[in-house]
Amino acid sequence: MHSFFTRINNVSALLSSCTMALLAAITIASLLQEAIYPPQINGQISMKPVKVFHAKTPRQRRKQEMGFLNFNMTADLTPLFTWNTKQLFLSLEAEYENIQGVNNTIVLWDRIVRRPEDARVKIIGAKNKYAFKEIGGKGFGKGAPGNASYALKYNLMPYVGMLRYGEAARLSDVPFDVREEL
Amino acid sequence: MARENQNFFRSFTHRNTMSSAIQDYLEGKIDFVGQQRVDEVARIWLFSFTALSFVIGFALQSLKFSFMLLGASTVVLCVIVLPAWPMFNRHPVKWLPVAGGDTKQ
Repeated sequence: MHSFFTRINNVSALLSSCTMALLAAITIASLLQEAIYPPQINGQISMKPVKVFHAKTPRQRRKQEMGFLNFNMTADLTPLFTWNTKQLFLSLEAEYENIQGVNNTIVLWDRIVRRPEDARVKIIGAKNKYAFKEIGGKGFGKGAPGNASYALKYNLMPYVGMLRYGEAARLSDVPFDVREEL
Repeated sequence: MARENQNFFRSFTHRNTMSSAIQDYLEGKIDFVGQQRVDEVARIWLFSFTALSFVIGFALQSLKFSFMLLGASTVVLCVIVLPAWPMFNRHPVKWLPVAGGDTKQ
């Protein structure tokens, strides 16, 4: 502390330690808050039977089974927003079993929520954002078990701390409505 | 012989007053009691403001407020502690007087 520069050195070192301690305290506080008051999210998904056509996008060579969704969804995710929440990543995922008996999960719709004001999800008559097709070929069309489950999953990204995953809503046993070629 | 050596070495310890004044000002020396005080003030200030910013930020549920408070308190601390204020120079080191003349010559 004898000269100007050593004082700068010492104060900045102390400040770094204090900042790290503050971040650690925030992380621990968030962990405790989640353990003591776990957020209860109840959401609803409703869907008509998923239409499956043999179709292809302009860049594909062959025709393939593609599914088309029409769903309604409501969920109130405001309990998830604390002082340590940076953003929420919501995704609607379909889980189904294909012809070979392999379980697949595919993300069909997603949204990033940055403010608690936007955390109430209410969607009516939406379509899937991303193509619903099995990359290897035959998945959910003729011959496959004709049901899939749809889940609204969230990924909470904090400012400091570990990522948290959870499920906000689930709809099971939605049948596939396989149509003839377009 | 020894006295001539003493005078010879004294001519090197005497510096040009103008540049030495500027250098001393920029170096920002403070005496030992001042250094101790600066150390205590910096530690107590930063510890308490860290705790305060956590508590108030948690109460207001705002991370931005916590870090703004910590930043503002650091700026004020720098103003209080970094420059060599006269209050940190109130206890200069008491040097003993130069030992009396040579015994030989």
